[in-house]
Amino acid sequence: MAKIPVTIDDKPLEVETGRTILEACKENGIEILTMCHLEGIGDVGACRLCLVEIEGINKLLPACTTKVAANQVIKTKTERLKKYQRITTELFFAERNHICAVCVADGNCELQDLGYKVGMDHVRFPYLFPQANVDTSHPMYVMDHNRCIMCTRCVRVCSEVEGAHNWGIKNRGIEVRVISDFDTPWGDSTTCTSCSKCVNVCPTGALWPKTVVQGQLVKQPKMVSELVAKRKMNL
Amino acid sequence: MKKKKIGTVWLGGCSGCHMSLLDIDERILEVVKLADIVKCPIVDQKEFPQVDVALVEGSVTSDEHLHELLHVRKQATCLVALGDCAVTANVTGMRNYLKKEEVLNYAYVEAASNDKEGKMPQHPALLKLHEKVVPLQEVVHVDYVIPGCPPSADTIFYVLAELLNDRVPNLEQERKLKYG
Ligand code: SF4
Ligand code: SF4
Ligand code: SF4
Ligand code: FES
Repeated sequence: MAKIPVTIDDKPLEVETGRTILEACKENGIEILTMCHLEGIGDVGACRLCLVEIEGINKLLPACTTKVAANQVIKTKTERLKKYQRITTELFFAERNHICAVCVADGNCELQDLGYKVGMDHVRFPYLFPQANVDTSHPMYVMDHNRCIMCTRCVRVCSEVEGAHNWGIKNRGIEVRVISDFDTPWGDSTTCTSCSKCVNVCPTGALWPKTVVQGQLVKQPKMVSELVAKRKMNL
Repeated sequence: MKKKKIGTVWLGGCSGCHMSLLDIDERILEVVKLADIVKCPIVDQKEFPQVDVALVEGSVTSDEHLHELLHVRKQATCLVALGDCAVTANVTGMRNYLKKEEVLNYAYVEAASNDKEGKMPQHPALLKLHEKVVPLQEVVHVDYVIPGCPPSADTIFYVLAELLNDRVPNLEQERKLKYG
């Protein structure tokens, strides 16, 4: 594969063509905050946490969906980016109802960890306190819209990896919601195979098995990444 | 250094943050070397006095809390929001997605423990619940926040020790940030 020169955080690097900025960073040990990205499923640039600055381009671009180009000068840790990461994180918390004290994911939540990473001690925006439903109709799992951050990992894993296409999305803006089939209860789904892939990749306490209680949730998002990698081996 | 004054108050919370404060155990002796605790929920004094540091537990859920918080703000040099309810509304904010009347009705009339004889309390001396529960920073300027439900005794002690020694605590740097 042809290699192209790029500069990331003042480091001159040689990167294979066709790589995303996120892949290039990972290969070179440069840490980038991500949320909607998960190894093994397609990237959609939904969460905007991985935004980077590229010299000569006015707007910030997501590292997960932007491919490296020759001679790009990329910055991943500027004060401006840190400011936006903190704002993005706060908006995740302000948009729905995150009550960590009563959440199954408490202590094992990618959103909590993100808050700690960006140093969020409080949210500077007013909480919206929206009315959000909890769908308990599935025999094994629960979907709690109060804790969903619309990363769409569940939607992508269900269609791309399981091939079931149970999850979809309705509405826009703050009305946006993940839906099962044609916006019917998850328990009535004719497509869900109860494989638990969505439950395992969900970064928050939005999707969880009924067997757990507060603070007891353990997720295995890497299980999907490994499965996808093994399928590619054509064993 | 002149001895400082600390006051604590409990608004819309469960007292858990105050319990966690008590859990600093014998370290309270270090605190009282630097400051007098002049007000807390078990001090028999109506008015919240002037203090250097006010620890405020709980959210603003009613006219009474609002009135008290505005008063504490005037009296305190440094107002600290103590715990998730004060910082995010937390569990106390869970009624925000429902109508206030629904919530009261459920608690006083429909609840199973009421033997079908429950009545809505009407006494004029009772506080009046607000339609929405909000965290402290939506009402007053907050100088420092300690998230956590409850924050650990270690974290509370760390923040108090820093403030009483005229330093600015840094929860992020100390890896003491915690929600829930
Ligand atoms: S999903 Fe995470 S951030 Fe949201 S309430 Fe649960 S533990 Fe807290
Ligand atoms: S359990 Fe599997 S099939 Fe069902 S919605 Fe989740 S990913 Fe799709
Ligand atoms: S349910 Fe979970 S995985 Fe699906 S969009 Fe919401 S937060 Fe993401
Ligand atoms: S990880 Fe790139 S936009 Fe979410």
